[in-house]
Amino acid sequence: MIMNIQLENRLIAHTTHCAMGTVMTHKAFGSYAEDSLAAVCGEVARIEGLLSRFLSGSEISRINGSAGIKSEKVSLETYDVLSKAVEFSRSFPGCFDVTIEPLVTLWSIGKESFAQPDESSIKQVLPLVNYRDLILDPWESTAGLRNVGQSVDLGGIGKGFAGDRIREVFKKFGISSAYSNLGGNVVTVGAKPDGSPWQIGIQHPRQENSVIGSVSVVNQTVVTSGDYQRYFTDGQGKRHHHILDPTTGHPAESGLISVSIVAEKSLAADPLSTILFVAGMEKGLTFLRSFPQTEAILVDSDLKVYVTQGLRTRFQVDKGIAVTILN
Amino acid sequence: MYGWIIALVVVAALGTAGGVGWSRLLKEHKEARSLPLNAVDFGKLNDGTYHGAYEGGMYKWRANECQVTVSSGKVTGIQLVGSKDPGGKNTQHEALYDRVIQAQSLQVDTISGATLTSKAYLQAVENALVQAQHD
Repeated sequence: MIMNIQLENRLIAHTTHCAMGTVMTHKAFGSYAEDSLAAVCGEVARIEGLLSRFLSGSEISRINGSAGIKSEKVSLETYDVLSKAVEFSRSFPGCFDVTIEPLVTLWSIGKESFAQPDESSIKQVLPLVNYRDLILDPWESTAGLRNVGQSVDLGGIGKGFAGDRIREVFKKFGISSAYSNLGGNVVTVGAKPDGSPWQIGIQHPRQENSVIGSVSVVNQTVVTSGDYQRYFTDGQGKRHHHILDPTTGHPAESGLISVSIVAEKSLAADPLSTILFVAGMEKGLTFLRSFPQTEAILVDSDLKVYVTQGLRTRFQVDKGIAVTILN
Repeated sequence: MYGWIIALVVVAALGTAGGVGWSRLLKEHKEARSLPLNAVDFGKLNDGTYHGAYEGGMYKWRANECQVTVSSGKVTGIQLVGSKDPGGKNTQHEALYDRVIQAQSLQVDTISGATLTSKAYLQAVENALVQAQHD
């Protein structure tokens, strides 16, 4: 339900709904705030209908269903997201793979039984995870997987794409001040109505109701990947989280427990947060250098916080948290 | 006989004084309880040292002055610089000041990385209530 109120002659509308397997909140200021939110929700549903592997009619489900058999004709948008996902998989091998779905499914079964999958099943599934087997044909606008059992999962990039699209919808409605929180992926349009930057909290990886700090952003996105969501603890008390290392087939253990990316484009920030999480601090920061105007907030397993130089004055740390500014 | 009358008058006087005193105390307590601190947007504080005074409620019993230090946009210290409270020598206020310093949470518009469903629903409830306040 979209709620709409008039405050000091400014129109504000906001809404919270479930989509893409998570909860989304959108807030907009301006004359067409209410209309813009209806359009935003519609846009999210439309994108989910294209990209979700959980919806049988989606283009991604069609590709997965025809794996090893044939390529499927896809829309320009799906094609673009897939090619972007392949690009990230190619640029950061071992840290990101668009065909990770068989591994994700294996671990999600483990999640239900609170036990990690046995090594033999992991070994069996790992060869299926290979982005090189996703064949994209730009002329025909088709996508197909080479082998039976292979499967595409856009979990690490789909919400990023949606975030950028939402921003476009807001702009179309003349909204110059808004934000959307897509289950932890935040996108902002402009600044707050009073002209000050949005203050985006960064979830504390170990304390549910607190933040490690906040970052000031205008017209940017803040995407966080952490080991504290969608995890299970096995009989030995070991935490198995959802960010899988496509090389080992196990949840990534790079020493980082949370990575937030602050950037202009959500489509890049989304996979980058996963990539840095898997790569670890040193390698991850090297990766980041090839992305201008892209900053990061990293939390290591000792709960030490590291922020890149560009956030020096924009990151405000919460009480009792140690922070290091990276050069 | 006179002794009884004097005793009664004394009791009546004490009773009246006590009653008046009690009602004043109640008023003062009520006022103290409802003292708001919500006029402050902790997210928009400029660095510096600020002087603050409160005239102390209806009967000026709680008049006090303090000095607040803000650095990097956060309240980092509060010192009592004057008090009319006869109990002002105690250190109760220090615990209170510590609570203010601790309680100032970072004011955030939304949180990145928090995807817990239940929490998000609570957020929605809160959002609704915030609107309810304006209506």
